[in-house]
Amino acid sequence: MKRLLLTAGFVLAATTGVQAQTVHILMETVPDTKYIQDLLPEFKAATGIDVDIEAISYIDMHSKLVPQLTAPTGSYEAIVVDFYWVAEFTKAGWLMPLDDLIKRDNVDTSVYVPSLMNLVGKVNGTTYMLPFYNYSMGIIYRKDMMNDPKEQAAFKAKYGIDLKVPTTWDEYQKQVEFFSRDTDGDGKIDFYGTVNQGQRGDCICMQWSNYLYANGGQYHDKNWKATFNSDAGIKAIEDYKNDIAKHGPTGAESYCFDEASSVFGQGKAYSFVTFNVLLAGFDDPSSSQVVGKADIEPNPIGGLNGGWGWAIPKSSGDKEAAWKFIKWVESKETIKKRTLAGGAPTQAWVFDDPDVLAKRPNMPMLKQLVETAQEFPTFTYTVDFVEALGRELNLAVTGQKDAKTALDLAADEFNKLAKKDGLLKE
Amino acid sequence: MTAVRIDPIGHNDRRFGWALTAPGLTALTLVVAGPLLWTIYISTVGYTLVNPGYDFVGIDNYRAAFAEDYFGDSLLVTVKFVVAVVIIEFLIGFTVALMLNSVTRFKDVYYLILLMPLLINPVVVAQIWRMFLHPELGIVNYVIGLVGVPKINWLGDSRIAFWTVVLVDIWHQVSFMIILLLAGLSALPREPFEAARMDGATTLQAFFHVTLPLMRPVIVVTLLIRLIFAVKTFDLVFIMTRGGPGTATDLISYFIYRSAFYGLDIGQASAISVILLVVVLALTAYLYRYMRSLA
Repeated sequence: MKRLLLTAGFVLAATTGVQAQTVHILMETVPDTKYIQDLLPEFKAATGIDVDIEAISYIDMHSKLVPQLTAPTGSYEAIVVDFYWVAEFTKAGWLMPLDDLIKRDNVDTSVYVPSLMNLVGKVNGTTYMLPFYNYSMGIIYRKDMMNDPKEQAAFKAKYGIDLKVPTTWDEYQKQVEFFSRDTDGDGKIDFYGTVNQGQRGDCICMQWSNYLYANGGQYHDKNWKATFNSDAGIKAIEDYKNDIAKHGPTGAESYCFDEASSVFGQGKAYSFVTFNVLLAGFDDPSSSQVVGKADIEPNPIGGLNGGWGWAIPKSSGDKEAAWKFIKWVESKETIKKRTLAGGAPTQAWVFDDPDVLAKRPNMPMLKQLVETAQEFPTFTYTVDFVEALGRELNLAVTGQKDAKTALDLAADEFNKLAKKDGLLKE
Repeated sequence: MTAVRIDPIGHNDRRFGWALTAPGLTALTLVVAGPLLWTIYISTVGYTLVNPGYDFVGIDNYRAAFAEDYFGDSLLVTVKFVVAVVIIEFLIGFTVALMLNSVTRFKDVYYLILLMPLLINPVVVAQIWRMFLHPELGIVNYVIGLVGVPKINWLGDSRIAFWTVVLVDIWHQVSFMIILLLAGLSALPREPFEAARMDGATTLQAFFHVTLPLMRPVIVVTLLIRLIFAVKTFDLVFIMTRGGPGTATDLISYFIYRSAFYGLDIGQASAISVILLVVVLALTAYLYRYMRSLA
């Protein structure tokens, strides 16, 4: 018995003594997560630290993160923060400021694209995150169709303008109309000019924002008073509704980006206003019928900016190990490898790197897309606002409410939340 | 003196009984009563995730819940959903249970097939059906298209989406009704049926005058359990519709989830949970009393 106890004690002591450092991170199941997972052995070899990435779908992330962030010691040493959680997480005091560590280790943060550093880096002058990847939105389109001389001639004959990367929203909408076709002659459109992601919630909010900007609208004025219930907002809803009804697949008002990208990936649509990171998937023969045929162009007035940042929560059990990992993952070497694999970087230099350009010739277009992208309102109650706006937009798009009534209600909700957050003062 | 001698034995029995049930009772107190009382307490304080505090606010959270846009719609959708799934699943479940009750061969095979949907996690059920029902690429529209039926907008049309969610719930949960009702049917005594047949009762008469009255307690319990579960339905709408189109499938459980994790208002989310609890408790108490009155 004594021997048994001794052995057990020894085993226990040995296992706790040699327990390796592990950085646990909750991430979304997106291509950039996969690229990092593939590079992890290099980090382990260099530092001896294990990294355990728990990759789940986006909709489950926020509710899984929050309890861990409010706990004295959470399960995650490092986290990734979506841009519209930034204000909420920092206001609640869940993130650790990184400025001291940046200064101590001479980390150069000037390498980041300013719009992204602003979005998922600094909050009121304090650096809480290092930008991880961008998912700024653009228009993914079929370059084989746009570059087809027959299509170009027919387009010119119909509209009197060239078929090319559009420079105005109206030009893009003409292309959407032009490519919507009835290919089997049954009187119904079965090749779609565009495919929408109109599901209630963040899916419709993110995509509709592009329609709002394209029509010259903005979410709020300088005083944080809602302005999106303007004529531009109403026109944006009309365009969106029209695209679904006349140029889009059945049920697009219930699609999120996964259903919508399936339609595009199956070669059933000409274009798709969406996140630039989805482009890589359309070149994957295992899931796409349009390999080599898709490319991306910026929204003519600038699409929606989006991105994730690396952060260390105050509830992190091992902040030093987490910081080591963040420094490694954002090092020039790792960034270049991730970008070559197909990632969506946030550091400006990598868009112009000759090796990267040789492999990915559309990098200048992606750079333009990131640089011209516009910001969604980020404040403590962004998530709450997205729910309200998503509900009202979906009500309007499915014809249950008229556009003006829906937008007015969403604007009231926005003003209420901005006031609650101390931004709107009246 | 005799009484004194017997009493310690009874006392000991009771103590032994308490000792045996203590672990279970402790566990129940910890995992059921504790969170329940905590929720009731939190519903009366101003606790938000951004600003966690325990300032007493009385019934403010309850008042705020009722003042929320669409709270009433959400309650109404939930009532409609619960009534629809419980009634339809009961009718299908009872019919299938009656049919299976008279089957003698391959009963186990039928059980296995019926149990399968019930064994699948609701999140998986919702994901599978979301793919099946994809209007452009899903198998359902493809199959009905073969016989000339035009594409149905299963989850995007506000008039259809509610019934789509009801249908998926039926697919998932109807076997629960079948299994419980079948268990009840197979436990019924044979004598009343034989007596009815001797008296010349037809099959229908036997059903209405013998089967139904004998089955009533089982039916009430089955309906009660299904009703409680139906009120809590969350996964299907969360995965399939996010409460949309518009508010067509916005069940109260998803409303609570949004208050807590999107609105970050744990106080208000707790208040709505308590309202829901009171409604479910009232329904349960009513059905329980009804059941006892039958006994």
